[in-house]
This record gives sequence, structure tokens and C-alpha cells, in this order.
Amino acid sequence: MKVTNKLKTLALAALAGTTMLSAGAADAKTADGKWLIYLSLSYSGNAWQSEAANIVKALAKTPPYNETVELVEVISGTDPQAQISDYESMIANGADGIVSFPISSNALNRVVRRGCQEDVLFFMYDGTVTEQCAYNISFLSGGFGENTAQALVNELGGKGKIFLSRGVPGNSVDERHTDGAMHIFNQYPGIEIVSEYYSYWDDRTTQQETAKALAAHPDVDGVWAQAGEYGVIQALLQADENRLVPVTGENSAGFRLALANPDMQAKGLAGVSSGSAPAQSGFAFKIMMEILNGEREPLPEGERNIEYPLPWVPADAVKMCEGDTFEDGCNVFGEDKVPSSFVSEVFNPELLPELSLTSALDGNPTEGATIQPLPEGAVKRAPDMPGINCRSCEAPDNQYDLTKIEATVQP
Amino acid sequence: MSDQTAIPLEDTRKAQRISPTVVTVATIYGIVALMIVASRLVSPSFGGLSQLETILYLSSFLVFCAFGQGLVILVRGLDLSIASVITVGGVLSAALMDGSNAGLFYVIPAILLACALIGVVNGIGVTVFNVPPFIMTMAVGIIVYSLCLGFTGGTPRGFPAPVLNDFMGSRFIGIPAPVWLLIAFAAMGTLVQSFSPFGRKLTAVGNNPEAAYVAGLPSRRLTVSVYAISAACAGFTGILLASYANGATLRMGDDYLLPSIAAVVVGGSSILGGKGTFLGTVGGAMLLTTLATILSALGIGQGWKTIMEGAVILLALILLRDTVFDSLRAVLVRKD
Repeated sequence: MKVTNKLKTLALAALAGTTMLSAGAADAKTADGKWLIYLSLSYSGNAWQSEAANIVKALAKTPPYNETVELVEVISGTDPQAQISDYESMIANGADGIVSFPISSNALNRVVRRGCQEDVLFFMYDGTVTEQCAYNISFLSGGFGENTAQALVNELGGKGKIFLSRGVPGNSVDERHTDGAMHIFNQYPGIEIVSEYYSYWDDRTTQQETAKALAAHPDVDGVWAQAGEYGVIQALLQADENRLVPVTGENSAGFRLALANPDMQAKGLAGVSSGSAPAQSGFAFKIMMEILNGEREPLPEGERNIEYPLPWVPADAVKMCEGDTFEDGCNVFGEDKVPSSFVSEVFNPELLPELSLTSALDGNPTEGATIQPLPEGAVKRAPDMPGINCRSCEAPDNQYDLTKIEATVQP
Repeated sequence: MSDQTAIPLEDTRKAQRISPTVVTVATIYGIVALMIVASRLVSPSFGGLSQLETILYLSSFLVFCAFGQGLVILVRGLDLSIASVITVGGVLSAALMDGSNAGLFYVIPAILLACALIGVVNGIGVTVFNVPPFIMTMAVGIIVYSLCLGFTGGTPRGFPAPVLNDFMGSRFIGIPAPVWLLIAFAAMGTLVQSFSPFGRKLTAVGNNPEAAYVAGLPSRRLTVSVYAISAACAGFTGILLASYANGATLRMGDDYLLPSIAAVVVGGSSILGGKGTFLGTVGGAMLLTTLATILSALGIGQGWKTIMEGAVILLALILLRDTVFDSLRAVLVRKD
């Protein structure tokens, strides 16, 4: 069946006048007998995106995949239209699988559907698409917003003035995070949001936006932040080097090191590091390869939303890594190894034991590592999130239930 | 003109004694002061010295790169590569300093020189190959940005020197060190742009390149040097930004490109070249930053924020036009 489909692809490619016929050889593999896998990125220009891409590249070079996978990286920028046309050419070139950071949750649906009909496997990481034939591997349903918001409320004893440092305006990820957070904050009349600003998930933008907000509200009691959180710490120290406040944020090395630093704690810093893990890309890639290799049954359509476990590292759980991997429960690398913007959640000892620091930074395989099968029960279905990972569906009643933390103060 | 014919007997010599430049610059700073005082209505923490300090601090980055932009605009050019060159400055300082103070005295000049060379390429494209400035600088900007992307693989490595990071957080006589730097830079920039032979030559080239050439000015060399200065200023901004944020990101320059042009134009310079002061640009940068802090404190939606930002820039440009000043001056003098 696969062969006929591939032949169809070939015919289509010929019709379309593409010259890349060599890639679409029969037997669902490239001419040299490898799986043809595309890595489709949105924007390569921040630490998170490049780490996620490097992880996939490193896995594709790790035995035995180095013999069986031909990985082609395509960067589509920030425009959904560009990614649509890139997907089109990948399908025409006879792709076996596309592992991708999707730029839009709904603009790509039509081309994804078409690819599925050509037997192309689509694996989206971090972001999602609402087309049900694609697999979505995402932490989004893990509830970053509500859990971190509750952590902040607990630290503040249920009352205080706070800032919200958000992501990119109009982005569905930012909205899901903020909706979850507001679900918590709205329950506490003592919590007053005195400033809310967009920081574009960037450290430096966060720092300047926070500095502006601090000019008007130097007496802020806490900050709820998405990625870029290290900029919050910098701005707070800039405004008053002796006063910090509780901050919740994502996974930058700078933030985690600060959380664990006794000097910073003495100044008032507390909080939790959570949020989006670049490791999602590697998890997506491994599930896809297991399905391609026949080691795992494909999931039926409508059940292809898979949850990546939400990282959750409170201050007292931060542990420095001595080596180049996450060993013995360590979860952050020191300043001598990575820059402060480095996103710490690149590894996952259970799901991705193949990776080390060089994988995340340079896309190189770990010496001596071979691909390990995913553990039993690693693939868990994610709940429906309308407009995010499904179209005509309803969110479960418990969508904002806390999963990582309990309320220690009652509204 | 019609005014003069209508009231032929009025003595306008007094009015002409007030230099238009002084009026422009004074008005900008007046507006900034007014905005700061009025912002007390927005937040009780506003209107004081600490707000002024924040504004000066945040506008310093913009001022550093706007100086170069101002010189380029003075000679009828435009530098769209500064966002990328800021990134180069930041990425290079994080990579080359790599968290140590050693060798700072040659690393900083080396970075500035590398950036200046990018500017030289811009200048040569504009003068020798007659590529329109915005195309030339945009193309060079894209190339340079892509080099950064390739060089870093997306993750800029390393840290700027700790001594620079400390400098950005330190205070002298109760005032943040970068504000002192801003004051020194403003004084030096004014000296160069308005009171040095170099600055006067640039004004001449900007006013009329052909005439300047006929008068024996090395127009090409002057233009190339201006682009080099602009790139070096952008590199300098990048070094300081990286020190401020204790690390570099590839997007770090993006927020400075259009504001650098806006600061120059709001500051009373002509976008067509040949006219402008650096003090005006500094005021323009402060005006933009003040506006941003107030809008941030207002807590309105992102869309409205951007609309108001655009509206105020437009308003400032319309109000700060020469004709408005001329009538203003006339009114002032008549009142005496």
C-alpha cells in the first residue's frame, strides 16, 4: 500500500514539475534506503528553537538512526504561508515524516491533511495544529499558567501587586498560559495585577519591559513570567540591588541558578521554574521513528494529542549538573558550560537518555550512545484544548485543575 | 512671506536673534519635562527623580546608536543595518570576553573595529557603487545577521566581562554609571556634530553634495566615515546591551532600528539631510522612552499602546516643524 502511495507521490511530483525525483524512490525510503525525514522550524534565532532543532539532529546521527535516517532541516521564518509551501515541497519530495515546530495552530491544516493522505507522518512539537491526522507532542495541556500562578499566589500569601510578563501577542500558546494563570489570579481578590506587558519570550525585551513597569510600580510584590524570566531578575536587581521578589518563569539556566542562589534568596527571590522544554522535539522524533520502524502502533486519528510532562523545578529542587547530562536528578548547567539564556530542559533521562550537552548546543550525537526504546507508558494522551489541538471539541471541565502544586492559601 | 508683506514695518530682527535650533531643542526637552510631571497622574511613583533616572538609563542605549544614525541622516543617508550590527556587538562581546575581564582593553576596540568595517562596506556601496542607502544597508544588515546566526548556531555563547556587567549596575555620586556615560557621550557627540570642522563638513555635504564636492570636500570619504561611525556606535550599543542583560540574543538589536530613526527625526533633524543637532536627538530619544514608560504604566492593551506611540511621534513631528517655530517665535517677540 505504501508503495502505491509513493508512486502516486512520484507522479504528483512529476506533474508538479519538481526536479527532486531522486528523493522519492520506491520502498518509502530515499535512494540510499534511508527514511527521508524533514525537520521544519519556524524561526532559528533564539536559544529555544536552536536547542530543539539540535536535539533532533543529534538523535538522527545516533546509531542506528545514523544509518537509517536522512534528516533535512528547513527553516520557514515566522510566516505560516512559507511553512505551508515548505510542507508542500516536502510532500512532493516524498517525505516519510515531518517533525516540525508549527507556526500556526490552524493555518497549516489543509496542507497537513493533504500530506497525511500521501502517508506522510506529521509530528508537531511544542506548538500544535488542530488537524487531527497530525500528532501533537506538547506540554501545553500540562497547565503551565495555572500551576505557576498558584505557586506565585502561595509565595505571596494570597495578596500583593504583581506584573504579568507575557509572550507574543495573539499567540495561542501565550493565550493558553495566560488564561490558566488568570483562572487562578481571579480567585484571589488580594492579588492586584498592576502591569501586564508583552516580552516576546526574549530575555532582553523582558528586562526592558520589566524596567519600565518598575518605574511606575517599584513596590511590586511578585512577577508571573513566561520565557524571558531571567530578564525579570536582572531588571529587579537593576532597580534595587538589595530587593528581589518571588518570580515564576520558564527554564533558562540563568533563572534556575538564581533561584538556587542563597544570596538571591536572602534578597527575597523565590519561585518555580517550569514551562516549555526543547526536549519535546526529541520525544516527537523518537515516537515518529518507532512508528516508521514498525516498533509502535500508529494511534487512531483523534487520539494523536500527546502530552509532554510539564517540567517543575522549585528553588529547593534546583541541582547543578557536574557532567554533561542530567544525571542523579540534576537539572541545570553552570555558567562555565552554557549561557544564561540556555533553556535547561533539553534532556529527559527517561525519554531521551541518548543526549548530552553537545547534542543541545551543536547537534552532535553523544559518544557511545545508541537509540533506546521509549519506556512503557511514555506516550500519554493529552486532553482536548479547543482551537489549540482540536477544532470542534470541548475542553474538559477540569482543564485548569492544578497538577503540580496545591493552594496553600485560600481565596 | 505673506506675513512680512502684510506687516512690512514690523521689526523682526529680535525674532531672528533666537536661533531656531535652540527653540527646537528647548521645546523637545520642555515636552519631556512636561510629560514627566504630568505622568504623576498615571502613577504616584512617577514624576520624580527615580523616574527620570530610569528614563535616562533606558534611553542611553537608543542615544548611542542614534548618534551614528543621526550623522548618516545628516549626509542624506539611512542606516538600516544597525539592528544587525548591535547584534554583532553583543554576540562578539559575549563570545570573545567569555565571562572574563582579561584582555578587555583590546577586545572592545577589536569589536568596535569589526563593526566599523561593516560600516565601511555600507559606505563604499553607497558612494562608489551608488546603491541607494536603504537598499545597501538593509542588504548588509541581512547578511551580517545571517553570519551571526551561522556563527552562533542560534544560541549566542558566553558572557560579557563581569566588570562591564558591574559597570552597568554601578553608581557614581548616586547616579547610575550608564547615565554618566550618556552625559559624556551627549557632550562629545554635540561637539563632533555641531562644533567640529568634521561636523560642519558633514552638514555641507548633506545640504548640497555637489556644492560640497565643488568646494573641495572629500564627499565620498566623509560619507564612508559616517557609515563607519554609525556601525561603531551600533557595536558599542551592542556591547553595553549585552553587559546590561549579561548575555547576547540574536534579536537584541531589533527594538532599536526604527526608534533610532524616530529619535533623530523627532529631535528636529531633517530626514532629507543637512540639518540637525545631537542634543535634539538625545531629547528625541528621551521623549520616546518617556512615552514608552508612561504607556507601560497605563496598563492598556498592546494594540492601543502601539497606536498611541505612533500618534505621539506623528504629533511631535507635525508640531516641531519650522513653520510652527517661526510663528511661535514671532508670537514670543511680539509680546515683549
